[in-house]
Amino acid sequence: MTAHAVELAYGSRTVLTGATFTVPPAAVTALIGPNGAGKSTLLHAIAGLLPPRQGKLDVPAAARRGGVAYVLQSTKVNEHLPLTVRETVTMGRYATTGAWRRLAATDREAVDRALEALAITDLARRSLHELSGGQRQRAFVAQGLAQGAEVLLLDEPITGLDLVSRQHILDAMSAERAAGRAVVVSTHDLGDAAAADHLLLLAGRVVASGSPADVLTEANLAAAYGGHLLQIGDRTLILDDHPHH
Amino acid sequence: MDIVHWFADPYAAGFMQRALLAGGLAVVATSVVGTWVVLRGLSFLGDALAHGVIPGIALAVLWGFSITVGALVSAALMVAGVTLVERRSRLDEDTGVGLLFVGMLALGVIIISKSRSFTNDVQSLLFGDVLGVTASDLRLQAFAALLVLGASVLGYRAFLVLSFNEAKAGSLGLHPGVTHLALLALMAVAIVSSFQSVGTLLVFGLLTGPPATAALLVRRVWLCMVVSVALGWFAVVVGLFFSYHFALAAGAAMAGVSVAMFFTVLSIQALWEWRRQAPVMGKE
Repeated sequence: MTAHAVELAYGSRTVLTGATFTVPPAAVTALIGPNGAGKSTLLHAIAGLLPPRQGKLDVPAAARRGGVAYVLQSTKVNEHLPLTVRETVTMGRYATTGAWRRLAATDREAVDRALEALAITDLARRSLHELSGGQRQRAFVAQGLAQGAEVLLLDEPITGLDLVSRQHILDAMSAERAAGRAVVVSTHDLGDAAAADHLLLLAGRVVASGSPADVLTEANLAAAYGGHLLQIGDRTLILDDHPHH
Repeated sequence: MDIVHWFADPYAAGFMQRALLAGGLAVVATSVVGTWVVLRGLSFLGDALAHGVIPGIALAVLWGFSITVGALVSAALMVAGVTLVERRSRLDEDTGVGLLFVGMLALGVIIISKSRSFTNDVQSLLFGDVLGVTASDLRLQAFAALLVLGASVLGYRAFLVLSFNEAKAGSLGLHPGVTHLALLALMAVAIVSSFQSVGTLLVFGLLTGPPATAALLVRRVWLCMVVSVALGWFAVVVGLFFSYHFALAAGAAMAGVSVAMFFTVLSIQALWEWRRQAPVMGKE
């Protein structure tokens, strides 16, 4: 997946300009940057929901129906909707079955595998309401996996989760990478970002991209986060505001 | 009078049987659409749409053309207005929709005020005339109920994912924009086909009362629709019963029972929660 001089905007509000970068296949790419840097907006654009105002965003996987799976921030999901875990995960299959075609055995198997991958098989018949935040998030990630896409996008999938859920989601991401898929994940945690294969540091533009060692330099972070950086000994601390706005 | 007659008498007359059928059909259409309305949190929009049909009906009465056509045209205009507000307004959506709502109501009343039988017309328009439904009204209602039911079955996945999250629906290729418009259209059909029974002011009671009550009771969307229809039918039967014995306005009685059911279930559940948690001090 490649982007050349991409500009993204909502109406008159420009969010990201001049973005040129590559997202490698079979790798985990982390999007980092301060609030409003354009992380979620870029994920929206890759998912095909926001056409670039300028430039060229080439996502070959999007040529196939359901080729890009998008796991939204859990706070954006309607929590009043009564759904079981299995119903939720099954939605991922609608990308290929469409609105009407009956679910085949392969669809049910894909749902089973996704439930298994996030260790929520025993919760399949439970209602989303009854689950913990971490379990719900695992259901949403399983929904993305069930789609069987070549590109998996996740918007802050592990922010504020319990350790068990966090680990299951990280394991699922690794498994996707091992299976040759491109995983693109936005995060506020530089520790998580350092564990990724590839980084995009955003701040209304692409400040830096490449391996964690290349991107996570003091100069780059200062350029992206401005005055919100604090040096304590040999550690860099980011004073960011709350993760959701 | 013995007890059996007391319960059976209300439903003996032909016009009462037609009222029962009209109410029952209205419930099917409103419950199925209403479930999506309630679960998506679009109640206010539903209320606005219910009032949006008034000018069209008023014009139809004044100029003597089909009330259904008038209501549908009016509803279509309202849907167009709502869509404009949703897409273009920089203000809170509710403000724009609220203004449309009042504007259409005002326009409707202005039109009716030109009519000679003002009071009668306003009354049946706002509060319905379920005891006066004709066979052709019933045929139209049956058609509307089937249409709404069919569309909800065919569009179930699209409606479900749109209710889950609009961006998710988009990323799955389920066309959230078209789906939303289809839902508005189905709301209009349910409202237009039901206002004869309960009136444009009270149709909102059927659109949200039974589905909201069902949502308190069950945890699956399709089950919500089924339970909502059952609760709605109960409201119609009980409403007509009270209307007959105590000479109450029939539409208001049916809508009133629908709303009363919601608050009864809500209160019982709150009381149950409170009792369960009573020993634990300080917990909400």
